[in-house]
Amino acid sequence: MTTIHTLHIVNKRPDHPAFGACLSSITDQDGLLLTESGVLALADREAVLKGTIYALAPDLQARAITVDGLDVQTIDFDTMVALTTEATRVICW
Amino acid sequence: METLVIISHAPYCDWTGRESLDMAFSLAAFDQPVTLLFTGEGVNWLRKAQQADAVQQKSVEKNLSAAPIFGVSALMADHKACERYGLNKENMMPGVTVTALSADLIERYAHVVNLS
Amino acid sequence: MTIPTRNNEGFLEDAWAWSPDVAREIAADDNIELTDNHWEIIEFLRKFYKQHEISPPSNRLFVKAVREAFDEEKGNSIYLMQLFPGTPAKTACRIAGLPRPTNCL
Repeated sequence: MTTIHTLHIVNKRPDHPAFGACLSSITDQDGLLLTESGVLALADREAVLKGTIYALAPDLQARAITVDGLDVQTIDFDTMVALTTEATRVICW
Repeated sequence: METLVIISHAPYCDWTGRESLDMAFSLAAFDQPVTLLFTGEGVNWLRKAQQADAVQQKSVEKNLSAAPIFGVSALMADHKACERYGLNKENMMPGVTVTALSADLIERYAHVVNLS
Repeated sequence: MTIPTRNNEGFLEDAWAWSPDVAREIAADDNIELTDNHWEIIEFLRKFYKQHEISPPSNRLFVKAVREAFDEEKGNSIYLMQLFPGTPAKTACRIAGLPRPTNCL
């Protein structure tokens, strides 16, 4: 796992203003972790995501969102914790 | 004198959608004609094979499948929202009519409820 | 037998603790002796819950759901009231080990 500069954790739906704010402050060296309603962005044809993208598996399963063919890593809670400890900084949107 | 109940909130996000569903069921209980329309992020209610136990909740897909039994006249989904969220015949629960949210559609109903 | 923990309205705290024997015990509280007619409705309710993850929220919707699954003969409030006195949806769900119907007082 390469070191992530900043890990952005988003639990908001794609139309929420915080989601836009997150996207405008993210770089290619950053990680974008989608949780709760944030995972809907992976089904949203209008969403343009950036950085290394992760999605929390239980939230995907609950909403039946599939990530086949997308550049997304599906992770569990343990990996989420590991990511937050490895990242230089973490922002929760 | 039909009522249109609109669900525009994402599932498992807050209680708004469930409250709307409850309202539709209550109208149906008293034989008041009611239709449910899913718009915006609300169309994500309709995706097949939700496993809500992964987030310790009850499946909105399964809850919604009781609608015809309780007497809800129709389930409808806005076509643009379905397109946006990649919903099609294959991955959408059965029995949903895809339509366009428009003034014409709204005018067919005596009452329109959209919890915001 | 020891009856599993129940809340102040007599509903099971743990849905998995349900068994036909537990149902008989809960029914006995309301002086109901379970017959085949009761079991038919109990089994229907448990199947309904599995499919829809919801108890019929009110008496009217309970009656509608039974009518849909069986016929007018069984899907009517007098028949269900005779089997499950009080508030039929509530009494039947309690015996069937399901959550309390949300819109029953």
